[in-house]
Amino acid sequence: MTLDVSLEEPLSPVPVGPVPGDLAPERRDSLLHALRHGRGLVGVVLVATVVVLGVLGPLVAPYGPTEQIKGANLLGPGAGHWLGTDELNRDILSRTLYGIRVDLVVVFAAVPVGAAAGVFLGLVTSWWTVTDVIAQRAFDLLLAFPALILGILLTAFLGPGVLTVGVVIVALEIPVFGRLVRTSVRTVREMPFVEASQVVGAGPWWVLRRHVLPNSLEPLTVQLAVSMSVAVFIEGAMSFLGLGVRPPHPSLGSLIKDGVRLLHEAPFFAVGPLAVVVALVLGLLLISQSLAEARRA
Amino acid sequence: MSTPVPAPPRRRLIRLAGALVVLLTLVTATACSSAVDDLKTSSGERKEGGVLRVGALQDIVPARIFTNSSDSINVLIGSVYDSLIDYPRDSLEPQPSLATTWQLSDDGKQLTLQLRDDVKFHSGRPFTSKDVEFSIKTWADPAWTVQLQRTAAAITGFDTSDEHAITLTFAHPLSNIFDLLDMLPIIDRDTIDQLREGKAFVGTGPFEFDAWSPGAKISFKRNDAYWRGKPALDGIEVSVIPDPQAQVAQLRSHQLDLILGASYRDFESLGKDDQFHVNQWAGAEGQVYVGTNVTNPALSDIRVRQAIAYALDRERVVDEVLRGAGVPISAPWPDYSPAYDEKANATYDYDLDQAKKLVDEAKADGVAIPKLPLTYPSENPIYGAIAQIVQADLAKVGIEVELDPQEQAQVIQQLIGAKFPALWILSHGYANWTPSTLAVSAYPFNAEHNASLYVDKDYQAIADKVWNQKPGAVDPADYATLSKALLDGSFLLEIAITLPQDASSTQVHDIGQTKRGEPIFYDTYLTK
Repeated sequence: MTLDVSLEEPLSPVPVGPVPGDLAPERRDSLLHALRHGRGLVGVVLVATVVVLGVLGPLVAPYGPTEQIKGANLLGPGAGHWLGTDELNRDILSRTLYGIRVDLVVVFAAVPVGAAAGVFLGLVTSWWTVTDVIAQRAFDLLLAFPALILGILLTAFLGPGVLTVGVVIVALEIPVFGRLVRTSVRTVREMPFVEASQVVGAGPWWVLRRHVLPNSLEPLTVQLAVSMSVAVFIEGAMSFLGLGVRPPHPSLGSLIKDGVRLLHEAPFFAVGPLAVVVALVLGLLLISQSLAEARRA
Repeated sequence: MSTPVPAPPRRRLIRLAGALVVLLTLVTATACSSAVDDLKTSSGERKEGGVLRVGALQDIVPARIFTNSSDSINVLIGSVYDSLIDYPRDSLEPQPSLATTWQLSDDGKQLTLQLRDDVKFHSGRPFTSKDVEFSIKTWADPAWTVQLQRTAAAITGFDTSDEHAITLTFAHPLSNIFDLLDMLPIIDRDTIDQLREGKAFVGTGPFEFDAWSPGAKISFKRNDAYWRGKPALDGIEVSVIPDPQAQVAQLRSHQLDLILGASYRDFESLGKDDQFHVNQWAGAEGQVYVGTNVTNPALSDIRVRQAIAYALDRERVVDEVLRGAGVPISAPWPDYSPAYDEKANATYDYDLDQAKKLVDEAKADGVAIPKLPLTYPSENPIYGAIAQIVQADLAKVGIEVELDPQEQAQVIQQLIGAKFPALWILSHGYANWTPSTLAVSAYPFNAEHNASLYVDKDYQAIADKVWNQKPGAVDPADYATLSKALLDGSFLLEIAITLPQDASSTQVHDIGQTKRGEPIFYDTYLTK
């Protein structure tokens, strides 16, 4: 007699509820607690402020981001132009508010896409030796390129623009998250409860989904916050080098670049965009630090 | 007695890092103030020799060495080579250089030049009439894509029977023959292959080519046997620094003595600082313009091109981008040119209503105007600023433009090959020369083949007419017709005359500039 049973699911389904290795509810609470107090709270407030400014930018900006105002050449900060105007008579406050939106797209779209792709690749490749070796060498290849070199390389093919910045960030995040998940896979799969699951017939996909992924969430959350802050830097650096957003559209990086160019004539120019970048990066780093500490605790 | 509790390692680390930052700040501040103090306490006493450190935006491209297409090339040509005659910057009266005297035949078809007999190439070989013949024939070779190729090719005979005299025979009178003789560097025929590869540049000029690190540095050393006498400087070192802001920073921090590529705003700022000189070179003007590819379906309609011409806010460009170092123009000529006409120069004064009317008419007749790419070199900040002003003004009249910044080398390649898809912003020269030079030689204007792919029989006819005459014998009415042909064709839309500028530390003295825009360092010296 042949036993015709699929071994993708355990023979005796595990009861609904926490399984060994899952995040305990109190651990989840401690992460949330970290974001509601101390440094975590400061980080959340900083990031939320920037996000609100970016989202509401078009509603609150006094001028269009590319609007050239007659006679307003390099004006200093004043009642009419809170952050002054640039050499092409554009209101810097309005350009900063619109520029934030580019960074938000980069931070909240490109990084999660890269993270998701990295996690997926890390999960599916690291269970089996052959795919693991191939994936790791591919990750090595991507990690071998410093961010800006990869940016320049991709710009040669795709041309400068926000899409290229996004692609660069996705390409940079895939190996970071892939490596992180791989570590979890290799740790968790040796644990007794995983072996027990396999003994009762659980397949790799089930184990990865029910045991490995939940156990990786904490470091992934911390890494996500770190990667978001790095992404702000990368956008800024790429736009600074002329590889990012194309003129006349603003981004925080290109605004800082213009500000640095006019540092002698208009030292106020770079202050606004710089403050926003600092707030965003600092906020994300504070969030990641508080999460990391809560996790260790 | 209580023992002090040692600080936790992390706190100690933070303190250490803080102390290090303070220390580094102090050291840096001291170093910076020392450099500035050095400058402030300079004695003004003339220094013997010394190397002039120059910042340039673009590198040399050996294949385009005769095109005046980059600031490094300008330094190289101005330092390594001599020409047969020199124009002063403020006139078109030829002055002796390698040629001492000259005689033009009555029919304007032959020119005899007496050459100096005491000149040697940097290789030590004496300069002779054969070198003049070789240099002219090199320029006539289309492979070098020089702008006066047609004029050089119109020289059909070379009598070099005398080593120190040459008689040139022309296919027809050449009104711009002296322009060619001024622009043509005399090159060494023995090393032409090395020149093509960028390995050697051998001329008769005040400095010898020493070394070239592509993308980084070009160095020159003094030619002790220079026929005008030994230059004061030991050498010149040109650093290729594509970022104008970095050039300004290096000049301010005394790492460079002279910078060639900064924005007019930077030059304005440096000019207010008593540690720097800003030189403005009248007579070596360029013209910044919007070029149009007339084979582009939208731009093939003359009304669209004229609308763009009306929509160019030239006054604003001069005031805000060129910081006053320019003149708004519709026609290319500066006011001292024989072709200058004040009325013609106002043809396309800023008029958005007229521009919009022309665009509406064209659209009503079924002309589709999609988003047009506007290409410009990214290195030089003035082009980016002008492009954004043009983009904003064209949007007001219903023409959408997408900015397309590219590297200078790519832009020049498209200019020479007439490969721009739609619009571009660039500068041209030659309007400050004999007017026929512009019409028959400059890439954007050449009536036979120009970067706009503009072909017009009337334009070709008048360009040939002003070219095929003896120097100085052209009827002013013909120049008026030439200007009218340019303005009616509207394939190249002038924005402004630009006065070239550079900035140097106050320790650099007596820099010169040719009408071609090449810096001249023969008389330059440094002070302590």
